[in-house]
Amino acid sequence: MKPALDRGSLALGAYVYTVLAFVIIPLVIIIPMSFGQNDHLEFPPSGFTLKWYAEYFTSRGWRNATWLSIQVAFLTAICATLIGTAATYAMVRGRGQLASLFQILLIGPIIVPHIALAVGLYLFFQTIGLSGTVPGFVLAHTVLALPFVVFTTAAALGKVDANFEAAAMSCGATRWTAFRLITLPLILPSVVSSAFFAFIISFDEPVVSFFLSGVRQKTLPRRMFEDIEQNLTPVIPAIATLLIVLSVAILLGAYAMRSRARS
Amino acid sequence: MNVNYPSDKVQAAGAAVRIRRLEKRFQSVIAVDGVDIDVSAGEFLALLGPSGSGKTTILMSVAGFEFPTSGSISVGTEDLTYVPANKRNLGMVFQNYTLFPHMSVLDNVAFPLKMRGVPKAERYARAEEALATVRLAGYGSRHPNQLSGGQQQRVALARAIVYRPRVLLMDEPLSALDKNLREEMQLEIKRLHAELGITVIFVTHDQSEALTMADRVAVLKDGRIQQIGPSRELYERPANLFTAGFIGEMNFINVTAEGSGGNISVLLPSGERWQLPASAAVEPLTGCQKAVLAVRPERLQLGDAHNGFTFRVKVDDVVYAGSASLLIGTLPDSTEIRARLPGASDLSALALGSTAVFTIPKEAILLYPGAAQ
Ligand SMILES: Nc1ncnc2c1ncn2[C@@H]1O[C@H](COP(=O)(O)OP(=O)(O)OP(=O)(O)O)[C@@H](O)[C@H]1O
Ligand SMILES: [Mg+2]
Repeated sequence: MKPALDRGSLALGAYVYTVLAFVIIPLVIIIPMSFGQNDHLEFPPSGFTLKWYAEYFTSRGWRNATWLSIQVAFLTAICATLIGTAATYAMVRGRGQLASLFQILLIGPIIVPHIALAVGLYLFFQTIGLSGTVPGFVLAHTVLALPFVVFTTAAALGKVDANFEAAAMSCGATRWTAFRLITLPLILPSVVSSAFFAFIISFDEPVVSFFLSGVRQKTLPRRMFEDIEQNLTPVIPAIATLLIVLSVAILLGAYAMRSRARS
Repeated sequence: MNVNYPSDKVQAAGAAVRIRRLEKRFQSVIAVDGVDIDVSAGEFLALLGPSGSGKTTILMSVAGFEFPTSGSISVGTEDLTYVPANKRNLGMVFQNYTLFPHMSVLDNVAFPLKMRGVPKAERYARAEEALATVRLAGYGSRHPNQLSGGQQQRVALARAIVYRPRVLLMDEPLSALDKNLREEMQLEIKRLHAELGITVIFVTHDQSEALTMADRVAVLKDGRIQQIGPSRELYERPANLFTAGFIGEMNFINVTAEGSGGNISVLLPSGERWQLPASAAVEPLTGCQKAVLAVRPERLQLGDAHNGFTFRVKVDDVVYAGSASLLIGTLPDSTEIRARLPGASDLSALALGSTAVFTIPKEAILLYPGAAQ
């Protein structure tokens, strides 16, 4: 029994470290590259400079793309969290027979290939004039972020006794007041953390943005793709590094919220 | 915050609850099937029945969390059948305490007053008062998870009575507590009921709880009322075979009964014939028919006591249990018979496998049409 167990745990360990390596190696490569002095990407980089960061922060094109992405991600976080939380509530607490159908529709965007969704949205948005607009991006990204919001809040809501609201109502609260004063505070950490997730999902979403971006309205990931095709200067690793820092900060924030929820 | 708050002067204790022809269906399931209950003002009524008999559904209909398929519910002079739960002004205690975990005990108890727009200072003063009523004065600043189960249930009780509702509804409020605590809380609830004069509807599937606490008990089965009456009546003269078997322990012997004039003659499996007074028949008997003779184990007397009928029982087991001993035996036709004998009885003659003679006092016999099992 024992040797078999050892071989098993050895294999598992190897597997885990391989996965970790694949995740971490790109980071180890990309961060130093962003400080390289040469105009083209090289590893290991030669010299040290912050000029690629400076270029990113001073170029109007990059600034516009970043600002658009921030706007879209912020609005997406709000929409996805509002809609997702309300939908989850209906799904978890509702008695309707449509609940399971509803669930499939909400989770759907995870299963549908993004490229299919992107083409569909592209054709549709073209005809109704939403392509390349902030509302267009927000709508599309909200669809993509919803499943994550639903997963996160459903787990939290499942742990809140449905009788809390009944008790509040028997105390004289309306259903809305009961939700606002009892259920919402109890699931709030998960709601906030799902808003963070929605922000990140929108902020570095490449596929749908690629199709929906117009000539002038480009999100940051879309702008980066263009730059990779045309120049491929170390400004790309510089932005990537900034994005990594931002993502880590946001995920740590979400994690802190969730561990607060658990205690 | 458009809930009426009864001022101190008009808060007359309890209100009468009238449930009329209540019916509730969930798709094809008939959870409640034509129930009529009149609870008088200040009365303590227990709803007792096996699992799935519709107790919770009835209570939830009164509370306003379920709306009946048909029938009506009124409290005092008000028809509440379709009034939303939050406008009913009824106190409610749930099985799992349902204290709001993110609020202090005091905020929990003050919550109903907050919903009624009572100013903060008064709210807290009255919440403190309610906590004192359930003997938890000084616990207000704690959080619910810092209290024991029994204390949490007291807080839930304080929250339910803080705005002095005229009716208090409880759905198995003590079933999550261990036995000692449960008995303590039973007394506590009885005391509160006496002190406040509030009408209580109490759901339980623990019959001793129902019998000891309630003024009257409604026995339910399959969504119908089997019997409703004071504990003593329920125990001493169950209205039908179901209640007879459900409440307490009961011996059942299948017989053939024949009513004639003031007497009933029953033919026992052993071939013996007993003449019973007409009062033994709980439901009227017609002609010659199958019937069940029922008698409580504690009414059987060891030996020939010359005040009733004697019969012979083969002794299968004797279980000593302190205040009383339980004898389990069989009649010749293998009907099981149980007898509870006072602890002081001389049981030395009762060897296993031997035959013992028992007396059934005439007045202890009940007769129901039908057959046991
Ligand atoms: N929401 C519902 N949907 C469908 N059926 C239900 C629903 N609520 C109750 N029932 C059914 O109605 C019947 C009565 O249920 P109810 O909960 O009132 O019983 P109960 O006497 O409270 O039982 P217990 O002692 O187990 O709590 C049961 O058959 C139950 O399955
Ligand atoms: Mg129940």
